[in-house]
Amino acid sequence: MIVIRSERLRRVIRRVVPFIVVPALALSGAVLAERGQYALVISLACAASFLLFAAGFERKRTGARRLVVVSVMTALAVAGRFIPLVKPVAALTIISALYLGGEAGFLTGALTALISNFYFGQGPWTAFQMTAWGLVGLIAGLLAAPLRKNRALLLLYGLLSGIGYSMIMDVWTVLWYGRGFSLPLYLAALATALPHTALYAASNVIYLALFARPFGEKLERLRVKYGI
Amino acid sequence: MALLEIENLSFSYPESEKRVLDNVSFSLERGDFLLVCGATGSGKSTLLRCLKRELTPLGALSGRILYGGKPLDELPDRASARLIGFVGQRPEQQLVTDKVWHELAFGLENLGAPSPLIRRRVAETAAYFDLEDCFEREVSSLSGGQKQLVNLAAVMAMRPEVLLLDEPTAQLDPIAAESFLSTLEKLNRELSLTIVLIEHRLEEALPLSNRLLALENGKTLVFDKTRRAARALREHPVLSRALPGATRLSALLHEDDCPLTVREGRALLERRGGAFRTLVDEPHDEERAALAFRDVYFRYERSGADVLRGTAFRAAEGEITCLLGGNGSGKSTLLNCAAGLLRPYAGRVEVFGRPIRAYKGQALYQGVLALLPQDVQTMFLAATVREELKGVDYSAFPVDFEPLLDKHPYDLSGGEQQALGLIKALAAKPRLLLLDEPTKGLDARARDGVADILKALRARGLSIVCVTHDVEFAAACADQCALFFRGDVVSMDRPRAFFGGNAYYVPAAGRMARGLCEGALTVEELAAMEERA
Amino acid sequence: MGALDRRHPAAVFVYFAGVMAAAMLTLNPALLLVSIGGGALLLLIRGAARLSSLLFSLALFAAMTLINPLFNHNGVTVLFVLGDSPVTLEALLYGAASAAMVTAVLMWCRSLSGVLGEDKLLYLFARVSPRIALVVSMALRGAGLFSAQARRVRRSQKGLGLYKEDNIVDTIRSDARVFSILVTWALENGVITADSMAARGYGTARRTAFSRYRFTRGDAMLLAAGLLLTGLSLWGVLSGTLDVSYYPAVRWTAMTPLGWAALIGYGILALWPALLEGGERLKWRFLRSKI
Repeated sequence: MIVIRSERLRRVIRRVVPFIVVPALALSGAVLAERGQYALVISLACAASFLLFAAGFERKRTGARRLVVVSVMTALAVAGRFIPLVKPVAALTIISALYLGGEAGFLTGALTALISNFYFGQGPWTAFQMTAWGLVGLIAGLLAAPLRKNRALLLLYGLLSGIGYSMIMDVWTVLWYGRGFSLPLYLAALATALPHTALYAASNVIYLALFARPFGEKLERLRVKYGI
Repeated sequence: MALLEIENLSFSYPESEKRVLDNVSFSLERGDFLLVCGATGSGKSTLLRCLKRELTPLGALSGRILYGGKPLDELPDRASARLIGFVGQRPEQQLVTDKVWHELAFGLENLGAPSPLIRRRVAETAAYFDLEDCFEREVSSLSGGQKQLVNLAAVMAMRPEVLLLDEPTAQLDPIAAESFLSTLEKLNRELSLTIVLIEHRLEEALPLSNRLLALENGKTLVFDKTRRAARALREHPVLSRALPGATRLSALLHEDDCPLTVREGRALLERRGGAFRTLVDEPHDEERAALAFRDVYFRYERSGADVLRGTAFRAAEGEITCLLGGNGSGKSTLLNCAAGLLRPYAGRVEVFGRPIRAYKGQALYQGVLALLPQDVQTMFLAATVREELKGVDYSAFPVDFEPLLDKHPYDLSGGEQQALGLIKALAAKPRLLLLDEPTKGLDARARDGVADILKALRARGLSIVCVTHDVEFAAACADQCALFFRGDVVSMDRPRAFFGGNAYYVPAAGRMARGLCEGALTVEELAAMEERA
Repeated sequence: MGALDRRHPAAVFVYFAGVMAAAMLTLNPALLLVSIGGGALLLLIRGAARLSSLLFSLALFAAMTLINPLFNHNGVTVLFVLGDSPVTLEALLYGAASAAMVTAVLMWCRSLSGVLGEDKLLYLFARVSPRIALVVSMALRGAGLFSAQARRVRRSQKGLGLYKEDNIVDTIRSDARVFSILVTWALENGVITADSMAARGYGTARRTAFSRYRFTRGDAMLLAAGLLLTGLSLWGVLSGTLDVSYYPAVRWTAMTPLGWAALIGYGILALWPALLEGGERLKWRFLRSKI
């Protein structure tokens, strides 16, 4: 049996395996399969990876204050999803990840999708959306150090995550409708979603530009005063 | 054996020489009801938090806290969480979950209790606290008083032996506060629950307790049976202000007896049989109206009920007008209509003689009026008081902001926050100031402070309209008082005439002197007349 | 409260998941039709949808049907030529089958979110992770609380003349102000919530999750029937006997007894909730007329 010595490497693996490898495996498995609903398979994979995360989260000791801050960020994002046109969900997820870590970022993104879909409609896509937003947070958490230092990089990340989120969700749309991935259909979906994508990306940049720093100060004060 | 024993307890915060608690000692038997009082910053909250291990702040603690004869630190985690319950000041923020049933179950879930046990405890608790009707409701749909009751019930579902309460009624209206206190009294009497309660307003809480602890600068000033302690405190220059009216009266009259309730105070007055006369309001010149409502109707939704039902009322220029009334009578709605934030569907609102709609754009808020919201925290944006006050001239204000400048607004005491809110509201130089419950959550001293500020502003010519539950405050500063009931002003008069005509909305002094001396508003007035006679 | 609302969340969830899974794994028109019928009937009986909103589903169905022939030109029966590409009957039918699947699942989802509200879903979730369920519960409360507080802050800023909406820049600036005040308020007051959690023993033991639901015989029956019928349907679907191939020409697989059994089994599965709820409603009407 191989023992991985590096704490860092183990941490990376613990994150990468459930969130990236498992869904990727399921995706390729589904694409290769002869029959079946790929969307369903992916949804199941996403749900499975979230449950895996949940199980890990359950065993860790997370202090009450940290838990409250994550719930506050999630609640703000859920409330923010009701703002017409410019939605701060991804931006808040990223901010959460920057200052509280990737795990908190993932949780904020994923739970925002879960909770807000009580109002916007639950369905098999919920699991997929949870993963997509969760990943936006998780990756921001992994890149936290450079993103916090470099403002331009942060805005770029916001821009890319807006586009990326839209592109991932369109994969779902195509798979959900047809059996199998059809490139023309995907391109058509991307084209029709273009205004949305642009809006997503733009609102991410706007919100990050406006709020990343003030949030940082507010969370910093909590850390100094209450040790969160 | 004492249930709770505190021996030479001292505490100081990190990087601070000052001892917030200095050699405090006392002990409590099972079933004791201890009332803790002291000025803001006397260390009473810190003391309570030292008794609740989970909430003890970081810092240097010395001395001993014994629970059932054993050091508190040696109690297992679960036992400590279960046996000592804690309820704080803000009802809304102490709630954790979204549903009442979940809130009641929360503590037991944390302890890892199995579902059947939780089911039983939660059901029993809900029945005892009369929460069955709202069991499945969302906590957000409850009133402040109900929320605080849920907080209490949620702690009681864990079956604690000691209950610690840090100003639990500060954010409640008087009716809800009294009902909360009577629930505490019931728990103490029926379950022999040991209670430690911090309160600033002792009028209702003091008679419920059997022990009183007064702190001053972290030191024990008095710890004794309630009546004996009250007698010792009634001469104290600061703390006496918070004591019940009857107690303060007995001090002014140099009586040996120390009455605690209106009933006892009344008996004292009758026994002394002093000669009183009726006090009347000084005549005022009729001033022009700063704010006038002419048959105003308002409702929030088209199909909803009217909140303002033909409200007619006027507040004179250069006077302080206090609007009293129960919860949900529409007082805050009236203020919002007066500030142009809500638009009535019928009737007219006039500000300084002009219809409110004649003020275009921001004109109403530039040099005309300002509304200080009930929750002043909705005004604070900056990380320090200094930034908050940027561009604001606070030199002529009766509160000294200098020592507070580098603090975060949320780190200020309730009274200081209120003062900061006030100075910010005055920044645009309004001539009419609208206030929503400015004394909510304040202790007697801070309340007097607000009254003094308002009087100083009146002297500068400001007109003030103030919505409040606080009769003592209204009696202390109002020129005009109005009773608001179900969306309309049902009576309005000068304070002496107003309170003389009421039976319930009356300051303690008025209630004690009913029939003996009409029109008295404060115990000082009563005592002065007695002595002259 | 319908018959389904009284059932244990786990039983309800398994049942609905079965109905949807079987529908998602086939393009057999008969099965999908039954699924849509059962789903629509349940929505109507529970009063969750009116006929007009079902017409909207129909329009959506039509739109989704038409997308496929635009992108897919397989099939032998050319209906007409659009631009350079042929539009075939087979592609149209395939589109209709796909659209039927999506419509069916959407309908069942709608019923499911009606039956399995936040409370019940949270309960299911709490079985896996009581702590994440707690975060969800806290966030649910927070979302409502912060929306209300945002309105209060905006009003308070207006009353002080600090909220200007004269032009778009002012409005954005004012809204950013409101948001900033709100965030400070939420985070600072969150500390009180955290204290209240700690005071009530959060973190002293492995959390359990209180369940208000008891698993009764009725739930066991629903669960057993759901599993049995889902199993039967899936067996039929996955064995291939219900397969329909659309390209190059529509061809049905010859129906076997298993196929018939699976179809009938699915029919019962899909119609049972509607019958259960409908029966209960009739009973009520009958009882009321006797009173």
